[in-house]
Amino acid sequence: MIPALIVIPILAGGLVWISKNKLFIHTINLIGAAGLLIISILSLIDINNNKVITSSGLFKNLFYMDSLSGYILFITALAFFLVSLYSISYFGQELKEKVITISKLKLYYSLSNAFVLSMILALTTRNMGVMWISIEATTLASAFLVGFYNNKRAIEAAWKYLIICSVGIAFALLGIILLFYSSTVKLGGARISGLDWSYLIKYAVSLDPSILKIAFIFILIGFGTKIGFSPMHTWLPDAHSQAPSPVSALLSGVLLNTAMYGVIRVMSIVNKCLGNSNYTGNLLILLGVLSIGTAALFILVQQDYKRILAYSSIEHMGIIALGLGVCTPISIFAALYHTFNHAMTKLMLFLATGNVYLKHHTKKISSIHGLIKTMPVTGVVFVLGTFAITGMPPFGVFMSEFNTVVGTLFSKKYLVTALLLIFLSMVFAGFTKQLGKMFYGRNVNPEIKQGELDIIGPAVLIVLLCITVLAGIYIPTPFKELMDNTTNIILGIGG
Amino acid sequence: MYNNALNLLAILILISSFRLVANKRQNGYITTFRLQSLLLALISLIISVKSMVETKKFDEVIIIFVLIVVFKVIVIPMALRKTSDKVEYKVEKDFFINIPISMLLCCGLVVLCWYVVHHVEGITNPTTENYLVYSLSVVMIGLFFMISRKKALGQIIGFLVIENGLFLAAMMTTDGMPMIVELGLFFDLLTAFLIMGIFVFKINSTFDSIDVNKLKHLKG
Repeated sequence: MIPALIVIPILAGGLVWISKNKLFIHTINLIGAAGLLIISILSLIDINNNKVITSSGLFKNLFYMDSLSGYILFITALAFFLVSLYSISYFGQELKEKVITISKLKLYYSLSNAFVLSMILALTTRNMGVMWISIEATTLASAFLVGFYNNKRAIEAAWKYLIICSVGIAFALLGIILLFYSSTVKLGGARISGLDWSYLIKYAVSLDPSILKIAFIFILIGFGTKIGFSPMHTWLPDAHSQAPSPVSALLSGVLLNTAMYGVIRVMSIVNKCLGNSNYTGNLLILLGVLSIGTAALFILVQQDYKRILAYSSIEHMGIIALGLGVCTPISIFAALYHTFNHAMTKLMLFLATGNVYLKHHTKKISSIHGLIKTMPVTGVVFVLGTFAITGMPPFGVFMSEFNTVVGTLFSKKYLVTALLLIFLSMVFAGFTKQLGKMFYGRNVNPEIKQGELDIIGPAVLIVLLCITVLAGIYIPTPFKELMDNTTNIILGIGG
Repeated sequence: MYNNALNLLAILILISSFRLVANKRQNGYITTFRLQSLLLALISLIISVKSMVETKKFDEVIIIFVLIVVFKVIVIPMALRKTSDKVEYKVEKDFFINIPISMLLCCGLVVLCWYVVHHVEGITNPTTENYLVYSLSVVMIGLFFMISRKKALGQIIGFLVIENGLFLAAMMTTDGMPMIVELGLFFDLLTAFLIMGIFVFKINSTFDSIDVNKLKHLKG
C-alpha cells in the first residue's frame, strides 16, 4: 500500500516530460491523482480492519500508518484529485491565452506531484526526523509553484515563503533533536527507534518532562510557522495570494494540515508524558486565539480577494489549534472534522477565485461587480462558499465550529468561548462587507462577456459544493468510526 | 583529552559565528562560513574515529564528515562566491544595525541561551549543557545575522549558519542522529541552498539588485 503511494507521484511527475501533447500531460497527472485517491481509500479500509499498516523489509522502521495519518492522507489525496481535475481547465485557459508555455505546464505538474509526494512521506513515516525532512521538502517543492508567474510580486512572495518557512522549521528540528536526546538519555541508546513516534508514545511516561516541555515549544514554533500561526504567519497571505489558484488551494487546504499533523504527533507524546497537565493545551489555545484574532482584524481591511481567503486560512488553523488545545473528546472531534471541512470549503473558494481571475485578470475587489450575473455558476458557488467558510448552517464548517464552541464551553473556558464568538462574528462581518461588493450590482466593464469559461472548472466547484453541504448534514458511519479512532489516538486511549 | 578537544572546537564554532557578524564584506562571510564548516567537520571526524577505535566497527558519522567536507567546505562556498561575483557585489552598507551593537546583542543572545538551557531540569550532564548552549547560540546568532543584513546572499549564509548550529546540536548531544535522518538533512540543505541560489538570480534580474529591502510590494 505505502510503496504505491510513494511510487505513483514519482511516476506521474516524471512521465509528463515524455510528450509535448497537452492532452497527454493532463491525462497522466489525472490518472496519477486518481490512483492516489483510490489507494488512500483502500488504506483507510485496511486501517479500519487492522488498526495500523506497517511496511516490511528494508523500510520496516520507516513507514507506519494509523487512523490519524490515514485520515489526513485521505483529505490530501481527495484535494489533489479535485485540484488536478481543475488544473485542466485553469492551465488550459492560460495556455490558450499564452500566459504559460507547454514546458511550464510540465513543470507545474512535476512540482505539484513532488509537493504531494513530500506530504505523503510526512504522513506515512514513523520517524520524526524523516517527518521533519518531508515537511521541509514541502517548502522546497512549492517555492517555485508560489513564484510560478515570475513577476515581481510572485518572486517576493516566494522568497519570503522560502526564507521564513525554512528558518522557522529549523526550530522544529532543534525540538526534535531535544526529543531524541531525551529518548537516548532515558530509554538507553536506541538509535534506530529513538526518533520513532510510535515508540516514543509507548514509553512517553519514562521520558524527561522538562526536556519535553522545551522541545514542544521549539516544535510548536517551528511547525507553527508552516501552519501559519500568528505572529509567524507573515509569509502566508503573500504566498497564498501570489500563487496560481490551484496551488493556493493545495497550500491552504492540504499543506497546513500536514504541518498540523506534526504538531499533533508531538502533542500526544508530550501530553502522555506530562499526565494531566494543561501545558500543551494552553500553548495551543493561546496561539489559536491569537491567530483567529489577527486574521479577523486583517480580513476587515483587505482589498484583494485571495488575501482575504489566505487570512481566513490562518483563522481556521487557529480554530483547529483551539480544538486540539482544549483536548476533550468533543473538541478534538471538532478539530478533526474542521480539518476536513476547512480543506474542502477552502478548496472550493480558491478554485472559484481561479475562475474569477481568469475572466477578470485582477485580484482587486473594487474592480469586480455583478459576479452572479456574469459567471452564474462560479458566482453562486462563491457566494455560498463565503457563507460556508464563515460558519453558516447548513455547511460543514458550521458543524465543526459549533462543536468547537461547545467544547470550550464544556471545559469551562468561558473567556476563550467569548473571544472565539467575537472573532467569528468579526470574520463574518469582514467577509460579507468585503466580498459582498463583488457579487451584486451590474457589471460595468464592457470587456467582460457573460458566461463561464468552460465546463470542467464549474463542474469541480459543484462537486465541492455538494461535499461541503453533505458534510454539514450527514456523517457516514465509517467516517464517524474513523474520526472516533483518531480522537482516541490523539487522546492516547487504547492506541 | 577527547572531551577537551570537542569542547574547544565547539567554542571555536561559536567564536566563528561572532566573526561572521563582525564581517563587513560579502566575501568575508563566505570565508567565515567555510572556516566554521571545517571546524564542524573536525568534530564529526573526532567523534567517528573515537567510536571506531572503541567499538572496532564502522561508524556512520564518518560519512557525515565526508559530506560536510565536500559540500560545506568546498562546493557551497565556491558556488556562493560565483553567485556573489555574478550578481551585484558592491556593498556600501549592508547592515541595519552597526557592528559594535550587533556584537553586544550577540553576547546577550549567548547569555539568554545559557539561561534557557540552564533552567531545563532534565539536562543533568554539564558537558551536554555546555554543548547545547553553544549550538543554540550559533542558531540564534545565525538568525540575528539574517535579520540584520539587507542582501539576499547574507540571508542565505545566515540560513547555512543556522543549519551548522543544528548539526552541532545533533552531533554533540546525541552522537549523531540515525543515518537516514542525517542524509535527509543534508539532501534537504543542499536543495534549499540550490533553490535559494536560483531565487537570488531571479531577484537580481527582476529587481536589478539583491537588496531584499526592496521587496516591499506585498503588505497587509
